[in-house]
Amino acid sequence: MSEKTAVMSRVDRYYEDYGLRAKELSREGTKIIGYICSFVPLEMITAAGCVPFRLRGNIREPITKGDTLMETIVCPFIRSCFDLALKGRYDFLSGMVIPHACDSMVRGYSAWSFSLELPYFHFVNIPSVVKESSFEFFQHELNAYRNSLEDLVKKPVTDADLSSAIKVHNQNRTKVRALYEFRKADPPILSGTELSKTLVVAASLPIHESNELLDEVLAEIGTRQESPFQPGPRILIDGPCVDNMELMKIIEDLGGHVVTDTICNGTRDNWPRVNENKAPLTAIANRYLAGINCPKTYRENKAGTFEGDIKARFGDIGYFSKSFKVDGAVLYTYKFCDPFGFEVPARKAYYESIHVPLLYLEDLYSAGTIGQLKTRIQAFLEMIE
Amino acid sequence: MAEEQRKPKKRMTATKAAASIGPMVKEFITGTNRARAEGKRKLAYTFIVCHHEEILRAMDVLPVWTENFAGICGVKRAAERFLQKAESLGFSRSLCTYALCGLGFDQWREELGEMPPDAPWGGQARPDFMISSGQILCDPRTKWYQAAQQFMPDVPIYNIDLPHPLFDPKKDHREVWGYYHKYIVDQLRGLVSFVEEQTGKKMDYDRLRELVALSDRTWNLVHETYELRQAVPCPMGTGDAMNTMVPLCFMMATQEAYDFYVNLKQELEEKIARGEGEVEDEKYRLLWGGGLPAWYALNDFNYLNSKGASFPAETTYRMVVPIYEMDIPETDDPIEHIAWKWLGYWTHWYDKARNRPGSEPDVERLIEYIENYKIDGVVMHLAFSCRTWHVGLIWQLHQLAKIYRPIPVLMLGGNGKGDKVQRELPSLILESDIIDITSYSEMDTRNKIDAFIETLESVRQTKAA
Amino acid sequence: MTAYYLGLDMGSAFSKGVLMKTDRVVTSYACPTGGEIKVTAERIRDEVLLKAGAAKQDILKTVATGYGSKTVFFANVTVTDMSAHAKGVIHLCPSIRTVVDIGDLYSKVFRIDSQGNLQSFLLSGKCAGGSGRALTMIAKVLQLKIEEMGEIALRSTKKVEFSTGCAVFAESEAVSRIAEGVAKEDLLAGFYRALAAQLNALAERLGLEPDYAMVGGGARNAGLVKAMEDLYGFEIVVPPDPHMTAALGAALIAAETVRQEIKVRQ
Repeated sequence: MSEKTAVMSRVDRYYEDYGLRAKELSREGTKIIGYICSFVPLEMITAAGCVPFRLRGNIREPITKGDTLMETIVCPFIRSCFDLALKGRYDFLSGMVIPHACDSMVRGYSAWSFSLELPYFHFVNIPSVVKESSFEFFQHELNAYRNSLEDLVKKPVTDADLSSAIKVHNQNRTKVRALYEFRKADPPILSGTELSKTLVVAASLPIHESNELLDEVLAEIGTRQESPFQPGPRILIDGPCVDNMELMKIIEDLGGHVVTDTICNGTRDNWPRVNENKAPLTAIANRYLAGINCPKTYRENKAGTFEGDIKARFGDIGYFSKSFKVDGAVLYTYKFCDPFGFEVPARKAYYESIHVPLLYLEDLYSAGTIGQLKTRIQAFLEMIE
Repeated sequence: MAEEQRKPKKRMTATKAAASIGPMVKEFITGTNRARAEGKRKLAYTFIVCHHEEILRAMDVLPVWTENFAGICGVKRAAERFLQKAESLGFSRSLCTYALCGLGFDQWREELGEMPPDAPWGGQARPDFMISSGQILCDPRTKWYQAAQQFMPDVPIYNIDLPHPLFDPKKDHREVWGYYHKYIVDQLRGLVSFVEEQTGKKMDYDRLRELVALSDRTWNLVHETYELRQAVPCPMGTGDAMNTMVPLCFMMATQEAYDFYVNLKQELEEKIARGEGEVEDEKYRLLWGGGLPAWYALNDFNYLNSKGASFPAETTYRMVVPIYEMDIPETDDPIEHIAWKWLGYWTHWYDKARNRPGSEPDVERLIEYIENYKIDGVVMHLAFSCRTWHVGLIWQLHQLAKIYRPIPVLMLGGNGKGDKVQRELPSLILESDIIDITSYSEMDTRNKIDAFIETLESVRQTKAA
Repeated sequence: MTAYYLGLDMGSAFSKGVLMKTDRVVTSYACPTGGEIKVTAERIRDEVLLKAGAAKQDILKTVATGYGSKTVFFANVTVTDMSAHAKGVIHLCPSIRTVVDIGDLYSKVFRIDSQGNLQSFLLSGKCAGGSGRALTMIAKVLQLKIEEMGEIALRSTKKVEFSTGCAVFAESEAVSRIAEGVAKEDLLAGFYRALAAQLNALAERLGLEPDYAMVGGGARNAGLVKAMEDLYGFEIVVPPDPHMTAALGAALIAAETVRQEIKVRQ
């Protein structure tokens, strides 16, 4: 590949020195609110005049502080984020929002909230089921969340504030979709590593700056007349948050292309939109409860058959596989993850039903396993070629 | 003799009541299989501590406690082949082993069309429906039955969402619990409709009201019975409580459960009158401060007892607080009352925790038991496969040591003069699992226990007057 | 009659014995534990007696400690290795209050009082790593003798991040790092930092009180001790023959027990 352009170098810099911009903003008095999960309604934070900031882990950094306060049986991704936070890597935060996502997040809430001593900490109780009463409850819960932010910023967060926040966040999602479009070509115009890096960085910036960055990246990629890559197997990555590029780099170094995903910091964060024609709270409740497809949420088996159930639950995988013409998928989960772990056989069955070859990897969120991953991915790519 | 050594040594109980539990549990399991064969009553897979037993009992549904069956497989050291079965289906060994054991068993049973060979106590009966629950507590509770539907697609699920407000040191939970209550009530009414549909019967609300009242009386009675263990020496320890939890967790809303605690209470009162303790020469009073037990190694309690350690209290499975101490609104509607009881239980230590800087409800509960039961040390068990009850233990001990230092000791300074300082309670975290015996080493566990006893003894000897 | 006291430390990898005559050490012996702990224990006893020119019946008391202590049938008392180390360490360095013991299976951090009584302790968890076993694994990958591993790391010039101190994954990470062309000394230094960090997490959970000592086989590794010192920011005392302190402590406990028994009789 040719030399990096200005915008891609900026992406690299923000990726390596994660939180650079948030640190600057925090020094200028802006309140930065951290989160780790797709379930946190970001529009609310933006509407309150604060900046939502997605925490990252680091697979290359050994856990040195985290284990003093948290068991090693929690999700290794959460464990890494917690370790970095304890080491002061995110000391520019004014607060954090933790949602009712998985046990690793919820059971560690006390450890997070007591040991980081941030001015603001809030728990958003996301319902586990999707029923009419769940939406009603969730709206109340969103209102309590809104009130807590109002207490922090000492000004009301109005419906009008929410509506404009919804608009800019939706714009962000539109731009991300446009970026994904560049991967539909074969070979793709944009690599998986480039895209994921951009998305990781985009989630660390105020939403307006995030939009600007995406515009610049879109313009830059738009100038690519043809794909800079050799043809190779087209891969979908399925799983939770994958915010270190090593997995994608391994696939791409071995001649594969990551063209799409169903991961948190990919389509799970960026695909569902908030309906701008509905009352803001209702629309937000709808997006975060019905729109986010995470194994944590229980969706009733309406079909009454296993085949019908997996089609309803994992239909997004089928949709992305088809529209991005994938040749194979990597289901990548972390050890100790109950929500994903209990779905593995059902997901495997679904991949079989749509005839997409699958490699299942359970990993530790540690660079120590890279060697093992390489061997298995190489064999898989050879198999599907 | 040789034969006995090969088998796990049976745990000795201190009370007659605890000794009577084994046959009772066996009867649940064989009872569900009998009912399955007769086909008159509907069977439901479900989880303990979901506050829905009254509803099930009022509608004559027979609960099949899937966690209990997995635990039995653990006690009988018979879980391994079901865990391996689950692994062969693609489930990771790092997941909840109760669920893995259940899924492995169910898949095997469905595949064979009959019970797997040598199934413990006749095996787990096929259900008519499954009731799971989404709580701020346990992910496997919403995932287990959903995964089981892969082998039993015809068995419908009802998932009750049962949230509670999380503790916030700066906010009164009563500000938000109104809408929590309404949601839980909606969820429970949804369960009633679901069960009505499944059984073809209508709910008898008078009967439900009676059963709810019976449960309330049982809660109070359990509390009063367990409070008797404050006596010195302590008449019944946690080893026994891992048995006496059975009526509390599996038989709530039955007269049998109530009567069990009437008898247990009487037995404890008699033992106290005779000055009889769980151990002959009580030297250390320990709190089981968190974690489910390693079911295959309950004998470790006897080992601790043999060192003079008694366990007057535990946080595990004591999932009741007296109704009269709960600050919840009164209502005549039994469903509304159940929902309030749910919220009342989970928020019980919130006010106390808010009043002590740096405290948190789980820590507050530890402090309450340490004081009321005159505790010398805390023991916890970290089961690797269960995040629900075992994430947060290290933090709780850390915070406890930070805000609560009840032991005065003399420290020899450089000048040779003694300074009185306050020390935290000694604590021990054992590591293993609930039913995965491959994670257990008796030698390691007992070495740890020995070192802990040596610590307790040195604290006892250096404790300043 | 001469009063001898025997302390035996039956570890999972190595076993050690210390023989004391009234209040001073006369001789010691160490060898691999092997499969038959009972036989090894007898062998150690016989070796130290031979060296001291004494007979079995001269031993007034035998205290056994360590992983296999319960199988030593001729021991009068067994204690845990932490209590034994504590007595041994306080005898050699009276100012020590926190001890780190890097054993083969587990690492331990414990606090002791001025009399060498165990105050509180923590063991490395099953998944957290930080045990001596990881050292053995790395030695195997680098084809080094355990004894020379420590010094090599002191020559490191380049900082290499090693992401785990876990025995299971340290091996594969080391293999990939070597494939990347990382120098042995830098790799080892990075690995020691990761291991030290894990031990530090344990120590922080327990709460540290000065002065600090390191014992056990791992304490003979200069590179690891240095990584610990760099991380803590203070000096760590390594007693002479740090792998022998538990056996020494056991012998001291034997002597102390006899003294107390005599006192009670009087």
